[in-house]
Amino acid sequence: MAANTNTIARGEPLLSCRGVCKRFGAVAANRDVDLDVWPGRVHALLGENGAGKSTLMSILAGRYRPDGGVIRVRGAPVAFASPAQARTAGIGMVHQRFMLIESMSVAENVRLAAPGARDADIAALGERYGLSVDPARLVADLSMGERQRVEIVKLLMRGADILIFDEPTSILAPAEVEALFSVLRRLKAEGRAIVLITHKLDEVLALADDISILRRGRVVAGCLTLDQAPGRRELARLMVGREVLLSVEKPPRDCGAEDETVLAAQGLSGLDASGRPAFADVDLAVRRGEIVAVIGVAGNGQDALARCLAGLGGGTAGSVAFAGHEGGRAMPAARWRGARGLSYVPEDRHGAGSVAAMSLAENALLTGQADERGGPLLDLARGAAIVERAVRDYRLKAESPQAPAGSLSGGNLQKLILARELAAEPALLLAEQPTQGLDLAAAEDVWQALLDLRSRAAVLLFTGDLKEALSLADRLAVIFRGRILDVIAADDPTAIERVGLLMAGVAAPATADGGRNGTGACA
Amino acid sequence: MSPWSRLRIEPRDRALPPLFSLGLGVGLALLLGAAIFAGLGVNPLSAYAAMAAGAFGSGHALSEILVKATPLLLTGLAVALAARMLLWNVGCEGQLVMGGVFAAGCALFLLPPGAPPLPAASAALLCGALGGAAWALVPALLRAWGQVSEILTTLLLNYVAVILVEHLYYGPWRDPAGFGFPGTAELPAAAHLARLWPEALGRVHAGLPLALLLAPLLAFLLARTRWGFSVRVIGLSPGAARYARLNVPARTLAVLCCSGALAGLAGAGEVLGIHHRLQEGLAVGLGYDGIIVAWLARGNPLAAPLTALALGALFVGADQLQTNLGLPASIGQTLEAALLLGYLAGEFLARHRVAFGRAHVG
Amino acid sequence: MWADLVFLGQIAVKSSVAVALAALGELVAERSGVLNLGVEGMMLMGALAGFAAALTTGDPWLGLGAAALVGAALAGLHAFFAVALRANQVLAGLALTILGAGLSSFLGRSLAGQSGPRFRPLHLPWLSDIPVAGEIFFTQSAPAYLLYGLAPLLWYWLFRTGSGLRVRACGQGAASADAAGVNVARTRALCTVLGGALAGLGGAYLSLSYTPGWATGMTGGQGWIAVAMVVFAAWRPLGAVAGAMLFGLFQALQFWFQATGQELVPAWLLRMLPYLLTIAVLAVVQGSPSLRRRAGAPADLGRPFAREG
Repeated sequence: MAANTNTIARGEPLLSCRGVCKRFGAVAANRDVDLDVWPGRVHALLGENGAGKSTLMSILAGRYRPDGGVIRVRGAPVAFASPAQARTAGIGMVHQRFMLIESMSVAENVRLAAPGARDADIAALGERYGLSVDPARLVADLSMGERQRVEIVKLLMRGADILIFDEPTSILAPAEVEALFSVLRRLKAEGRAIVLITHKLDEVLALADDISILRRGRVVAGCLTLDQAPGRRELARLMVGREVLLSVEKPPRDCGAEDETVLAAQGLSGLDASGRPAFADVDLAVRRGEIVAVIGVAGNGQDALARCLAGLGGGTAGSVAFAGHEGGRAMPAARWRGARGLSYVPEDRHGAGSVAAMSLAENALLTGQADERGGPLLDLARGAAIVERAVRDYRLKAESPQAPAGSLSGGNLQKLILARELAAEPALLLAEQPTQGLDLAAAEDVWQALLDLRSRAAVLLFTGDLKEALSLADRLAVIFRGRILDVIAADDPTAIERVGLLMAGVAAPATADGGRNGTGACA
Repeated sequence: MSPWSRLRIEPRDRALPPLFSLGLGVGLALLLGAAIFAGLGVNPLSAYAAMAAGAFGSGHALSEILVKATPLLLTGLAVALAARMLLWNVGCEGQLVMGGVFAAGCALFLLPPGAPPLPAASAALLCGALGGAAWALVPALLRAWGQVSEILTTLLLNYVAVILVEHLYYGPWRDPAGFGFPGTAELPAAAHLARLWPEALGRVHAGLPLALLLAPLLAFLLARTRWGFSVRVIGLSPGAARYARLNVPARTLAVLCCSGALAGLAGAGEVLGIHHRLQEGLAVGLGYDGIIVAWLARGNPLAAPLTALALGALFVGADQLQTNLGLPASIGQTLEAALLLGYLAGEFLARHRVAFGRAHVG
Repeated sequence: MWADLVFLGQIAVKSSVAVALAALGELVAERSGVLNLGVEGMMLMGALAGFAAALTTGDPWLGLGAAALVGAALAGLHAFFAVALRANQVLAGLALTILGAGLSSFLGRSLAGQSGPRFRPLHLPWLSDIPVAGEIFFTQSAPAYLLYGLAPLLWYWLFRTGSGLRVRACGQGAASADAAGVNVARTRALCTVLGGALAGLGGAYLSLSYTPGWATGMTGGQGWIAVAMVVFAAWRPLGAVAGAMLFGLFQALQFWFQATGQELVPAWLLRMLPYLLTIAVLAVVQGSPSLRRRAGAPADLGRPFAREG
């Protein structure tokens, strides 16, 4: 094939963008973006979080109006004033957060988007594309994969021929991913144009015909064809802009202290916030002086497990033992409500970890209110002291302890929460996705704080980021569909590969040392 | 292109100060009032002049403003306290009535004859607060442990309280020596709340300093105590409250009952300080007015005395309309609603900019 | 025995029509996602407008029309605040109730105590002659028959038509409805206005049929009971009518005890009964987790909607 396939005639692009710009205040989300999507081809749009993919797609779906540039559909320029106009033009989008009404049936949801669709039509269409879902079922009862099928059926019922998928596999189990791919191939074979937004290179290589890479709002590589595409490494470099290595130094584990178990969970099972079984038979132990990472793809029950271990309820069976609480005796999971010495940094910094309308000093006092020590008065001086320590020790940038927490950026807010939880001198810190959405500088400060804590306490880290887990943790517990599949020592040379496979639910080949409950080497 | 498609509403980067929405509320209420006066064939300016003269024109009128403001402040504080936890106590009317019933009951049947005034009045007031709290108890329990909306339960109990109090003063509690007049016998003088300075301040009684004391106390409780902090956290962020393991049902129970107690105090003050007996005229909407007092003060207990005074002046002025111009006093209620709607509109305009013309392309 | 039952049933139905009409109206508004706590105010204004218009024109039907218009206008005010200004719906609704109470009280001064035209019981051929059921349900006045027609009609509209589906979608998931191309703001505003018209009709039933004439505050909390009945009905039209009939039965028991001179329960307790039983019903329906889940309250009820971006 010729080196530059761009010149090969493929006919008119179904959708074409030239010089599309969009600003939000001072931030340029899209700068001079060009994009062509041809019928019968899958165009993969790659980029990190915040690269501007979602903004671009929202423009194409009619949700935002571009500040500049031209969009053509079938050669004719369009200016969408509303999502309805984009739909009329044949553009359909499957959002990451599904636009389905849970309390309604599949058929009602489809009819909302495509009036007049009969149950039989829906069933027939599902049959044809391998998207079968019972039209009479309630969406609330469907799995994530089934809900995604409903979204696709909605688009097809409406006759959309430019289909945009925003990170479609992030919520799917591996088997469902394969099913989705075969649906996408069928749609492509019918001559529909498909845009696939993703940051997973494997998917791109498996499915895409054309590849564009977006970085900081710009197209850094446009319309490469698959055979033109450089190797994975190069693609990753283009996407991120530099080689990312964690710039923190993990000191070797100090085994002078005896292996004191701080937290031990045995046969733990429990429910998520909406009362569905989320995890089962979890055995997990964390000792002083180590960081244990629970790692898994989002939606495998780790949120509920973290909530339960932190003492916020949800446990149904099994037991939790915590050093310093009732002498470290195990207590039934259903009664476990946390204890002094256990600190928790929740994933939802804005909705749970802080109160935006309250001052930083007040936020520094948020936890520890339930326990009955201390007088009836609010110790605002202590709150201010915690804030000041965070400014000093974690480089928290804040006007004053009286500023509202809502004025902080995500990174600074996380530092405040971390400072608050560490001020309690915990024996165990449970940190849930502590660097998600933070810029690199802030993330490094958080990593450093966790490693510092490791010398005097235990850390249980919940993360979906393999690099973070490997750099920080001593042992990695891989969670898949609510079960811990294996616990692997981070210094095991095969750790990367084995953890990666396990996260995808592929059982690792047995290794000589068994691997399970790896103890982590001591210096 | 229709003019509407050119209308643009954009959020402001920084909201205008709270006095803006308050001012706009007052302005809109005045406009609506003017329209109503004009519709009734009265010159709006002379009507407002009559209201102003009625409210501020004499020492007696000024003292009546204070008399009206006393229960308004208490019910306003009651609503504001509940609102801090996103609870709607729209049952202040019933709690106020029950406060009056309990206070009167205490004064009539519990106080030993010859009890000294200070303990007697205090005991009756306390009973009033208990009555209000008791009336809020069932909605509080249902809300705390059953997640039953407190809006409907507190409100429906208002009607029950009114039926109950009517039954009492028409029936078992009626003064046998009252010539068939519906009402209890006059309460023993020891239980009356002292008039502060009858020559200058008329009917203003000890309930006013009590209410004025409770406002900063409530502000302190909310801002500076751990209990108040937890109440604010629950109101501002249910997620953070769960994370901080705050006992939401216990706080719900406490806050709604305290709110009821404040409203009960308002009723006790009316009965012990003004009426001196249980009779018609207790359930005149002071509980509903508390909603407006609280919201115009933006839930701030320290601002509530001012809004209570303002509303008191509005009612005294409206009463004067009836005497001087023969207009119904219920126009006060209408203006009150207009004030609230105007305030809501002002809140929106303080946060949004409304402009005509095309969106500028950046 | 049968005669007593028929008497009780007749009064129960007669006492339920106003609440049922208003509850249907509130149900439509809430299904679209708008909580309108101004029902009491809209009913009062409807009662006054209905009576005044009937008195002037001599035709109760014109009174009914006027009441619907006035109710719709007040609801339009609520829609303006709740939908256009995205204001706090509880507060806006309470303001509407206070406004309706105040306005009706002073506008109706001169009408209090007057008597005017009214709807009289309407005998329907064949239907009214059915024993017991016919005697209970078909010896009512015209607005009751309007209600019998309206309830199934609203059910059909909400659950069997495309526009009804869009209304429910606005209440259950405004963002999803918007993404599917539904004009959420317009749908909500229209449903709120329609709800207000029905509340106005409910009020007019009181002043033109149930207790003919105008008296200040004559609704006596029926607007609030209507709001409670929507919860009781799990947001289903036929359930709302059933709930209203339950309320009517509480009322009827009160009359029945009085009429038969039985002093088993004192009259003042009986007067409290409708309110207390409504609270009890709410406690059972909302307080039980399983019933609450099955009821399926509109997920976006009371939440203003604005498209992000």
